[in-house]
Amino acid sequence: MSPVHFIAIPLFAAFLIPLAGKVSKELVKIIPGLVLLYLSFVSVTLFPIGTHHPVVEIIAGFKPPFGITLYYGAIAAFLTTLITLIGFVIWLYSYKFIIREPIEKYYMLFMMLITGSTGIVLTGDIFNLFVFFEITSIAAYSLTAFLRDRDGAEAAFKYLLIGSFASTFFLLAIAIIYANVHTLNLADIAVKIQDVPVTTRLFVLILFLIGLGIESEMFPLNGWAPDAYSQAPSPVGAVFGGIVVKAAVYSLMRIIFLMFNSHDVLHFLLVMGIITMLIAEMSAMKQQQIKRMLAFSSIGQMGLVIIAFGIGTEPSVRAAMFQMFNHALIKSLLFFSAGYLVFHSGSKKISALDGLGHDKPITSFFFAFGALAIIGLPPFSGFWSKLYILLSIADAGLMVPVVLILISSIIEAVYYLRVVSRLYFYKEEATDVRRTPVSGLIAMGILTVVILLVGFYPNLILNWMTPAAADLLNKASYIKFGLF
Amino acid sequence: MIYYATSILLILIGMYAVLVKKNLIKIVIGLSIVDNGIHLLLIAIGYVKDGTAPIFSKPGLQASQMVDPVPQALVLTAIVIGLAVTAVALSLIIRLYDHHKTLNINKIRKLKW
Repeated sequence: MSPVHFIAIPLFAAFLIPLAGKVSKELVKIIPGLVLLYLSFVSVTLFPIGTHHPVVEIIAGFKPPFGITLYYGAIAAFLTTLITLIGFVIWLYSYKFIIREPIEKYYMLFMMLITGSTGIVLTGDIFNLFVFFEITSIAAYSLTAFLRDRDGAEAAFKYLLIGSFASTFFLLAIAIIYANVHTLNLADIAVKIQDVPVTTRLFVLILFLIGLGIESEMFPLNGWAPDAYSQAPSPVGAVFGGIVVKAAVYSLMRIIFLMFNSHDVLHFLLVMGIITMLIAEMSAMKQQQIKRMLAFSSIGQMGLVIIAFGIGTEPSVRAAMFQMFNHALIKSLLFFSAGYLVFHSGSKKISALDGLGHDKPITSFFFAFGALAIIGLPPFSGFWSKLYILLSIADAGLMVPVVLILISSIIEAVYYLRVVSRLYFYKEEATDVRRTPVSGLIAMGILTVVILLVGFYPNLILNWMTPAAADLLNKASYIKFGLF
Repeated sequence: MIYYATSILLILIGMYAVLVKKNLIKIVIGLSIVDNGIHLLLIAIGYVKDGTAPIFSKPGLQASQMVDPVPQALVLTAIVIGLAVTAVALSLIIRLYDHHKTLNINKIRKLKW
C-alpha cells in the first residue's frame, strides 16, 4: 500500500459515480462510503509507518527535485487519517440527509473535495499544491450552490470571486519563486530560497498569505466563509470546517515554516490570529442564523489555531494540531445537529429553535453536547486542546494573547449557551412529526463517543501529535527526506 | 523585458476589471485577463532568446540554448484550471441572472459581505 491511494482512489471514484448513476441510485450512495472506508483502513495501517519514518513516494520515476513527490510524514499521516475518518462520518450523515437530486453530483463533488484535501496534505511539490487547491476550490464553489436557490448562487459566486482572485496570487507567487530558484520541489525550494533577496522573499510571502489565507479563513480574507457555510447543505458545512480549512491551514504553515521561518513572520501570524479570533467571535455573537453563527465560530477557532502556530514552539504547535483535530470533530457534530434542527424547525433562524429540546431530544442533546465541547468545558476534548494552547502561550511568556483567548472563550460561551437555552428553556410551539434518520444519529453518535473518549484520555491523541509537531518544525529532516 | 512588462500590464488591467466593474460577466473576463497575464509571465520566465525546443535533436546542441519546458507545462495546466473556473463562474452567473434578472453586482448583493 502506498500514499498514492489517498489521491487516486477518490479521484477515480468521483468519475465512476456518474456512470454508476446510470445503473442504480443506491450504488451512487454506497460507492463513496466504500471508498472512504477503504481509505480509512489504508490511513490507519500506514499511520505508524509514516509517523515513524517519512515515506516519500516518487511519481512517474523522476527523481526529486525534478519529479513530483508525495511526502507522507507524521503530520501528513495525522491529517489524512483525520480527513478520511471525518469524511466517512460525513458520508454516513449525508446518506439520508441529501435526498434532493442530483445526488450523483453531490457525491462526485464530495469525492473531489476529499481528493483535493488529501492531495494538499500529501504533496511535496508547490505547483502540485496549487493544482490540488484548485480541485478543492472548484468542488467547493459548486457544492455551495448545490441547493439551486438564490442565496446559494450568490454565496457561491462570492466565494468563487474571492477564491479565484486568491489563486491567481498563489500562481504569481509560484512564478516568482520559479524565476528565482528554478525548482518546484518544496524541499529544494526550502534550501535555495535562502539565497533569494529579502525583498523578493517578502513579496512572495505576502502573495502566499493572500493566496492561502483565504481558504484558511484568515482575517480579512474570510468574507466568503459565513455565506458559503450557511447556504451550502449542512454536511458540506462540516466538510468545509472539518476538512478543507484544515488542509489549507496545514499548507500555509508548511510553506511558512519551510521558507519564511523567522520571528517576525511568526509574530505577524500571531497578531493576525488574534484579530481573526476576536472579530469572528464578536460577529458570531450578533448572528440571527444558526449556521452563520457556526461559520463565524469556525473562523474564530481557526484564529485560535493560527495563534498557536504563531507562537512557533514545539508544545504550541502540538496544541494547535490537537485543536485542529478537536475542532474538526466538534464542528462537524455541531453542523450535523444544526442541519437537522434547521430541518425540523423549517427555518435557519435561531429564534425558530424555541423548545425544540423537548420535541427532538436526541438531536438537541447532540447540539448541546457539541456546544459545551467547543466552549472547552471539561470533560470534553475541547477542554484539553484549549488548555494546552493557553499553557504553551504562557510558557512563551506572552500574557496578552492568553487574556484575549479567555475573553473570546467567554463570548463563545455566551452565544452558544444562548442557543442551547432556547432549545431547552423556551416553550414548545409546534411538533414536527418527521424524525431524524438513524444514519444521521449514528454519525453524530460516533463523533460524540470520540469527543468523550479523547476528553477522558487526551494522551491517546496527544502522543501522536509529538512526532507531527516535530515533522512540521524540523525543516532539516523534511529537506533530507524530501531530497533523499 | 517587453514580455514582463506586457504580462504585468495584463495583470493590472484584469485586476482593475475585477475590482471596479459592476457587470458580473466583465468581472469574470477580468479574472481571465489576470490569469492570462500570469501565464505570459510564466512563459517569459522560461524564454531564451533564439532558443530551440528542449530536445537534443542536433549534435552539439547545448542545454543553455533551449527554452525551459517546465513553465510551459505549468501554463498548460493553469489554462485548464482557468477554463474550469470560468465555466463554473459563468454557470453561476446564469443562475444568478435567472433569479435576479440583472447582472449588476450592486443590485444582487442580498447577503451581507
